[in-house]
Amino acid sequence: MKEFILPELGENIESASVLNILVKQGDYLKQEQPVLEIETDKATIEVPSNVEGLIKDLFIKEGDKVKVGQVVLRVEESLSAEKPTQVETKVVPTVETKTETKDETPSSTMQKQSTGGIVEFIIPDLGENIQSADILKVLVKVGDVIQKEDGVLEIETDKATIEVPSTVSGKILEVFIKEGDKAKVGQVALRVESVLSSEVPAQQNDIQEEEKVETTQTPTVKTTAKVEEAKINPVLQRAGLIDTQPAILPHAAPAAPSVRRLARELGVDINGIPGSGINGRISLDDVKAYVKRLNENRSTFSGSSIGIKTESLPDFSKFGNIERKPMSNIRSKTADHLSYAWATIPHVTQFDKADITDLEKVRKGLTSSAEKEGTKLTVTSFLLRIISEALTEFPQFNSSIDMERKEIIYKNYINIGVAVDTENGLIVPVVKNVIGKSIFQLSKDMNELADKARRRKIGLEDLHGGCFTISNLGGIGGTYFTPIVNSPEVAILGVSRGSFEPVYKDGEFVPRLMLPLSLSYDHRIIDGADAIRFLRWVVEALENPYRFLL
Amino acid sequence: MENKINLVVIGGGPGGYAAAFIAADMGMSVTLIDADKNLGGVCLNRGCIPSKALLHIAKLINEAKEASHWGIEFGEPKINIEKIRAFKNKVINKQAAGLSTLVKQRKVNYISGRASFISSTSLRIDKNDGTIENVTFDKAIIAIGSVITSIPSLEVNSKRMLNSTSALELPEIPKSLLVVGGGYIGLELGSVYSALGTKVSVVEMTAGLLPGADRDMVMHLSKRLTASFDKIMLNSKVTSIKESTNGLTVTVEAKDGKTDEIEYDYVLMSIGRRPETKGLGLENTKVEVNQRGWIVVNQQLETKDPNIYAIGDIAGEPMLAHKASHEARVAVEHIAGHKVAFEPKAIPAVVFTDPEIAWAGLTETQAREKGIKHEVAKFPWIVSGRATTLDRSDGVTKLIVDPDTQQILGVGICGPGAGELIAEGVLAIEMGANVTDVALTIHPHPTLSETVMEAAEVFLGQSPHIYRPKKS
Repeated sequence: MKEFILPELGENIESASVLNILVKQGDYLKQEQPVLEIETDKATIEVPSNVEGLIKDLFIKEGDKVKVGQVVLRVEESLSAEKPTQVETKVVPTVETKTETKDETPSSTMQKQSTGGIVEFIIPDLGENIQSADILKVLVKVGDVIQKEDGVLEIETDKATIEVPSTVSGKILEVFIKEGDKAKVGQVALRVESVLSSEVPAQQNDIQEEEKVETTQTPTVKTTAKVEEAKINPVLQRAGLIDTQPAILPHAAPAAPSVRRLARELGVDINGIPGSGINGRISLDDVKAYVKRLNENRSTFSGSSIGIKTESLPDFSKFGNIERKPMSNIRSKTADHLSYAWATIPHVTQFDKADITDLEKVRKGLTSSAEKEGTKLTVTSFLLRIISEALTEFPQFNSSIDMERKEIIYKNYINIGVAVDTENGLIVPVVKNVIGKSIFQLSKDMNELADKARRRKIGLEDLHGGCFTISNLGGIGGTYFTPIVNSPEVAILGVSRGSFEPVYKDGEFVPRLMLPLSLSYDHRIIDGADAIRFLRWVVEALENPYRFLL
Repeated sequence: MENKINLVVIGGGPGGYAAAFIAADMGMSVTLIDADKNLGGVCLNRGCIPSKALLHIAKLINEAKEASHWGIEFGEPKINIEKIRAFKNKVINKQAAGLSTLVKQRKVNYISGRASFISSTSLRIDKNDGTIENVTFDKAIIAIGSVITSIPSLEVNSKRMLNSTSALELPEIPKSLLVVGGGYIGLELGSVYSALGTKVSVVEMTAGLLPGADRDMVMHLSKRLTASFDKIMLNSKVTSIKESTNGLTVTVEAKDGKTDEIEYDYVLMSIGRRPETKGLGLENTKVEVNQRGWIVVNQQLETKDPNIYAIGDIAGEPMLAHKASHEARVAVEHIAGHKVAFEPKAIPAVVFTDPEIAWAGLTETQAREKGIKHEVAKFPWIVSGRATTLDRSDGVTKLIVDPDTQQILGVGICGPGAGELIAEGVLAIEMGANVTDVALTIHPHPTLSETVMEAAEVFLGQSPHIYRPKKS
């Protein structure tokens, strides 16, 4: 018997609503076969299975709220018994692993072995957020025979100088890097004629199994904490008063004297704090977390997260019939996210108009070739290409701000989000690695994503990693609008409907197709002059389509 | 400097001096008032410290005697009471001198005299030098301790009539001594005199020695005292004490009404201690005293008067020095504006007899009386290697455990060194340790501390030194 548990769904997502169950009891479930359709805060996604076998028990039903780590179903494995390790390997690269990594994870590529006994040594993951490193020394040369764990390279990261051990054994056939190179995580460094490298994937399994254990444990802890939330309010009322906390009750959860003291100092009753340890043992961290949660609650009591006092709602039913409906996850997350962006980013919106008469000609001229390529060109397709070039030209538009550390983060990649209006609300799928892609390709990518979004098939990996957002409302109408920057990005381009206008040109008014553009930007990092320079650049690119097409 | 909290501490015992020192360290301006010749209170001058010095001597005498079983004969000890007294006084003086130094180093304003409140912000001090001084304060801490309980009808004006204070003065080595009261003070002092050669008898009103302590803890002590003492009269009370030619004639009435008249060289009244606030001028403040004489305080040791705190014996039971000094810290920190409370899970109690008896947290007796769900795990010292090397198998270590959470609620230890061993139990209770925590903590071998770990293993059903046939 094997259980399928709801895998990690990505950043901070703890639970999701079940929209559809795509399998039933008695079905034979295969690996990667979609099991559920769930709605998270961010999107509707299909969750594929990581187990195989006959479905014996199904523990959830449509409409349930499932938590990460919860058992969804149980299968009886019929013939997969002899390959348990293989199954295990696949169990773990869940949605999270897919979303986190841009290309291929080093851990998975490391196992990739050429069939002829030739293996590659790839620069492994060097730790938190280290993407690349300078090669100080290459410690091996062609012809050397290396063992696993032998030092291969000495590299310097921004954190330390590290000797990188080999993950493969064998005779070195080729060395692809040299001293002074900047090597990226995932880059192939050596090619080795393998002697016995079958241990490598086994080791990987171990690591991944550990990870799995972790992911299944954390949610339970979080759950207990959540259950307690209901109790908070009475405590909250008492919290302001000095020294009314009772002593720890004789049979209360265990808490060391220092922990009791901290709770008292912070003004909370130790007896009401949920402990995360054995028998509910309360740790210092539990107390801090509890107080933090209290404070968060308090701020939502008094208003939004930035401490603005909310006005209480009137009783609308006095004025007529009303209906109350819960917000969907997407709606409530969108509301939170946009409130945050609106409240924290000093927005300025710059307007301009682009003459796209010529661009329209080009677009129409390319229609048939686009059809041959199996896609349809739109203004947004062109904009994707233009914006990617503009971001290269104006790198501060491809940055994020770390206010805590007073740092600006510049990105050396370009992924562009495109706002899509769906039945379920606003979704912003991200077109990845825009640099170097043809307009046809970009158009194809974008249409696929939009289609997936509308059909609720979008994966979380398609919603992360944007650098800039384009919101094109031109299909519906309007002249200008003031889009809200999709934080942590720093700018967004709003596109409205193009219309023919009389333009004074060469001594006369001529009808030209004018496209209204609205660029909202984060004034903390982008100055007004830069913004108009950026927007003018975009306008000029739109007006001279051949310039960037060639 | 003007903004300093002006604190007055009344009483220089382990509660009072601790309060004064902590407050001074926290930057308060501190006046410490004590009526005694020396700082240190009853604990240092007439209690814990001198009695321990004498008990140390008693232990040595007893062990030297027992050494004959191990092949060593010392012969009868020659006891020089003057020298013993001098040793005891040296111990007191050394400690007292240390306290005086600390007072000076901390620039605490120390006044010898008797204080009484004029109001909620002022005191009158009748100084030991005969002068009177009035002081004002922002906050005051009452730490005046307790006094010896006496039964007026039994009081005889005789030098043969001792209380704990005069007994520690070691007037002489009596031929016979009746200890009235089988509590810890009487048994400790009785043990001292017994070791010095006095024939000691005990009369106790209840059915056993050390009322309140678990019987299985007291058992080993009773056995030993029955052997070393002359007579232990339980369920009995003294109805009269009369001075006779060669001593004091005491009438002891047993439960069944039978009376006995016995003549003793000396009688030690040790029936307990009580609070006494007379003369303190509390009527001039808002401080309230309960029916039994203790000052009413809350968790922060505040009395009903917002300016006045009370700590130690005067603030309620248990009347123990370590409770007082812990309360001192809480009170001072609260005065300093910290959010604190007196909320220990366990206050250890130690009886320094031989064997020693110590407990902390919930006792089995309390658990039963209050109907608290509990399980008991015992490790008898007869299987402890270390106890065997000491030729002392008369001990036991037990844990009172919550069966649901396996948390340790109480610890009881009987045996030599129990007073030192109990500290681990207190820590375990305060930390909320469960039996597995204790069982998995490596204890040094061979020591008596292993018995705590093994008791935990007994609870878990797998102590290596105890064989229990498997239930079928």
